[in-house]
Amino acid sequence: MRDFVIGRREALLAGLALAGLPRAAAASDDLLYGPTDPQARRSGRVTVGSLVEPPALDPFRQAADARIRVSVLMYQGLFFEDQSGVARPLLARGAEVSADGLTWTFPLREGVRFHTGQTMSSADVKYSYDFLRDPRNGSPGAGDLSSIAAIEAPNPATVVFRLSRPNAALPMTLTNKYGAVVPAGFLDDPNSGTRMNEISVGTGPFKLRSFRPNSAIVLERFAEYWQPGQPHLDEITFAVMPNSAAMAVALQARRIDLAVFSRPQDTQPLERAAGLEVRRWPSLGQRSLDLDCNYGPLKDVRVRQAIALAIDKKTVMDAAIAGYGQVLGTMVAGMQDAWGVPLDRLPNQKVDLDRARRLLAEAGHPDGFEIDLTTIIGYDWMDPAALTIAEQLRRVGIRANIKRIELGVWIRNFRAREMGFTFNDWGTTPDPSLLFYRHFRAAPQGADFRNWNNAKASALLDRGQEVSDPAERRRIYAEFQMLLAEEVPTIMLFSADLLTVNTARLRNYHQHGTGWYFGLAKAWVAS
Amino acid sequence: MAVMLARRLASAAVAAFLSALAVFLLMRAVPGDIVAQMLGQSGTDRTAEEALRAFFGLDRPAHAQFLDWLGRTLAGDLGRSWYQGRPVSAMIAEAFGVTAQLAALTLAVATLIGVPLGVVAGIREGTRIDTAIQTFNLLGLSAPVYWVGLMLLVGASAFLGWSPPFIWRDFADDPAENLAIMLLPVISLAILQAAAYSQFVRGLMVAELRREHIRTAIAKGLAPHEIYFKHALRNVLIPLTTFMGLILVQILGGVVVIESLFSLPGLGRLILSGLQGRDYPVVQGALLFVVLIAIGINLLVDLLYAAIDPRLRP
Amino acid sequence: MIAAATLAGTRITPGLALSLGLLAAFAVLIVAPGLIAVQSPYDVDPSRALLAPSAQHLFGTDDVGRDVFARIIHGTRITLGLVAGSLLLSALVGGGCGVIAGYAGGWFDLAAGRLADMILTFPPIIAGVVITGVLGQGAGNLVLALAAVYLPTFFRIARSGALAEAARTYVEAARALGFPEWHILLRQVLPNVLPLVVLQYVILFPLALQIQAALGFLGLGVAPPTPDWGATLEQGKNFILVAWWLSLWPGVFLLASAVAVTVLGRALRERLGGD
Repeated sequence: MRDFVIGRREALLAGLALAGLPRAAAASDDLLYGPTDPQARRSGRVTVGSLVEPPALDPFRQAADARIRVSVLMYQGLFFEDQSGVARPLLARGAEVSADGLTWTFPLREGVRFHTGQTMSSADVKYSYDFLRDPRNGSPGAGDLSSIAAIEAPNPATVVFRLSRPNAALPMTLTNKYGAVVPAGFLDDPNSGTRMNEISVGTGPFKLRSFRPNSAIVLERFAEYWQPGQPHLDEITFAVMPNSAAMAVALQARRIDLAVFSRPQDTQPLERAAGLEVRRWPSLGQRSLDLDCNYGPLKDVRVRQAIALAIDKKTVMDAAIAGYGQVLGTMVAGMQDAWGVPLDRLPNQKVDLDRARRLLAEAGHPDGFEIDLTTIIGYDWMDPAALTIAEQLRRVGIRANIKRIELGVWIRNFRAREMGFTFNDWGTTPDPSLLFYRHFRAAPQGADFRNWNNAKASALLDRGQEVSDPAERRRIYAEFQMLLAEEVPTIMLFSADLLTVNTARLRNYHQHGTGWYFGLAKAWVAS
Repeated sequence: MAVMLARRLASAAVAAFLSALAVFLLMRAVPGDIVAQMLGQSGTDRTAEEALRAFFGLDRPAHAQFLDWLGRTLAGDLGRSWYQGRPVSAMIAEAFGVTAQLAALTLAVATLIGVPLGVVAGIREGTRIDTAIQTFNLLGLSAPVYWVGLMLLVGASAFLGWSPPFIWRDFADDPAENLAIMLLPVISLAILQAAAYSQFVRGLMVAELRREHIRTAIAKGLAPHEIYFKHALRNVLIPLTTFMGLILVQILGGVVVIESLFSLPGLGRLILSGLQGRDYPVVQGALLFVVLIAIGINLLVDLLYAAIDPRLRP
Repeated sequence: MIAAATLAGTRITPGLALSLGLLAAFAVLIVAPGLIAVQSPYDVDPSRALLAPSAQHLFGTDDVGRDVFARIIHGTRITLGLVAGSLLLSALVGGGCGVIAGYAGGWFDLAAGRLADMILTFPPIIAGVVITGVLGQGAGNLVLALAAVYLPTFFRIARSGALAEAARTYVEAARALGFPEWHILLRQVLPNVLPLVVLQYVILFPLALQIQAALGFLGLGVAPPTPDWGATLEQGKNFILVAWWLSLWPGVFLLASAVAVTVLGRALRERLGGD
């Protein structure tokens, strides 16, 4: 097994050099979607096994992570979210920001074609982002663009975004998670969302051939893609697999060429298999324990601190993913070096049962209390993590009853800010504002799912968005993280390394920290 | 007969209506809706939520939604999937194709194995062969289907280095690949149903061979094969057909787990994924379809029974 | 009890002996699992995760290091208890309604009959999935869902039994003698319907066991850390290539208990002269 193909050091250097503001496009085109392999050539078809399937492929109105994984190969935004924390120009050629931070000018690539054959112009860009940011269109990405006051298209090759308040994270926001540049007018049809299950209308390296629910999605090479010589693969089939054991069996039988796993127990039988390559990659995701600050005993900050002090994250990680990950403080693993506060400087990170018991007694629970701990059905790591945490909490007198709920119910509760005491599994685009703002900024600007409602945290998050100086931003987010660790509205447990297994014939696949399949744009097949 | 048919049809219609109502109400009783799923942990804007809810008609009162759905369903329009945008009827047809093939293959394999086993066990009642077959029946009926499937999947991989293709192909497009996909699911389901068949046929044979005319035939010195196949088996055929109907209902009910275990895009998966995504038109349409099939088969079985045994006619 | 009384005097075949032996063994596991499995079914220890079967851990350990043998043994009470409880609930409610409907007829018979028809049209596993979806996870809700699935079967059996009894001459005689209706129902009809319901209970038991385990397998069973067999199977399916013991043993125990009850059911049916 090869460890961490993209080293943490490398990510750190890139983050320091370029944090925040993107410079001109320069030669960084080579780094779009992952490293370039000089040996790569036009080649064959591959099959990718996946445990989850997108409910639909509309990048504007479907929040599901399973949708994003696949749709990033068909649809493109103005920038690419390089996992080092740099927003690399994608459909934009670069970015220029005015001194007050309120006007962003993006020159556009020329000669970019949509899958429909039309040529992209600034009118399409304006149309697409105007649609995305209007909340009446129902996109989950609208909130991130609330700082945009107007979008202008002064000439076919330039768009100008005018903001109501500065937003240093704007380029990172105009990436590929939500929305994309599509032909102007396409979204006017109220059924455009479901149309995108039949055709793709993006500018990405692959276009949609077919989508059969509960079975497979087939993408094919887009011959008129704007990056010369790319992509290399002729066809990609995403097959829905029933469980990770079946995925391993299918890899051994060469039914599939690539699969992403999250528990090493799944890949263990494949490590010695000839012709299969097992690799580990750092993740931008986090597995966390969320605490609703309005829920029963969790209302008291001392109780939340006691819980944090009773939990040994390393043991939880060992139980949940056999240790194949990184214990977190207050920052996801992929961004720790660039943005995180070292764990030994954060409060409430080391197990201290005496202090936990004292805090509980002060909060009026000298004998502990009983609480429901929610896990989501189908998230295999949550049950072992819950069992371990329940065991650890028992040592300070807290009796956690594990409750499993279905994902749809969980999302409903989460959005209604009625999450209680629950596990969470979420990812981020690599910018601290995009990571924290929505989750922890008090309403109405943020969603504040955990009912934290902390004025100081909100002020810091506002500042962090407005300030553009990288050093100053880092200082602000460090202060925010100290507060997060002190007040414990969430306990970030660990980032699980992404484990990819591929057949030897699949070359140059690099797994992006988000877990999305960007790397397939650069991969090729050796005959 | 006509009166009985009318009465049966009327009660089937009532059952269908009640089921439709139950399906509709149950769906809305499950917490969370499609809007929450589409917006996820990101889209927290109330305007967006309301816009989407209005788009799907979820802002209207439940009874209005139900009457609307019922009216359109009666007119033959099951609506479109909220995620896929395709007509629900087309999705059901596609998924039912998979499930029906699974059921048909299972029924065929189960009949080919189960009936001969049952006949042999019946003829050789009390012998070692009978005991062996009865043991098979007992184990087959008791083993959880998905457990058998799981063991087969692992066994095929460990001992043969083989795995099913997992990516669905219709029989018309690629027969070999299609059958390769069907192999393990059919075996897992067929073991149970063959055992059920064999048990049933054995019972019938034993009863039949004790009857007067068979004894007479034996006394007359007819050749054994003539006795078994001309007299006994013929009388067994009719109850066997009705039993086939019951088995079919059972298979349709049991495919959910097997389809999930082997990633088959059949009706069970359609319903399950629709439930998870809160795609109301799909779940309502597909469940109603399954219910109607069950009602139809039950009706057919009842009518067959009545045709065979006049005493059952009211 | 009733089953035992009915069986009294039946010839004990080797199969029946095996069945009764198994049932007795399961009874021991239900009453005193600690006698057989000394280790705790709940003790989590990631450092001994997924250990293969050994003298220390007869059935190996699971992914958080719990002893699988202890979990299976302690799971007997949970799994069989849940099934027995839900069928009992189903038999009481469904059977009760059936007896009243069959004996009294009228609007109640009509309404309950249609309701039963409706439930019966849903394939059991799908019905279970939908009901647990509405009610949410948990042992109590699982019992309710399973009970609902088998309600119509008990209803139909009890109703047809009561219908036949009500037409008997002794019922008419009792009525002519001035016995109150409830007395006839309780003293004459019920005792004659009861064996049918008991027989149905035993016949349905293995089927309900499969449904219960299937729901557990789909992730809809009881919540952890409860050591349910179906839930253990679900937990094991991801590890089946590295830890077969996690999936094998719950299946074997499910199989054994289903076999034991099925054989008992057949003996009972023969005894009662059914077909």
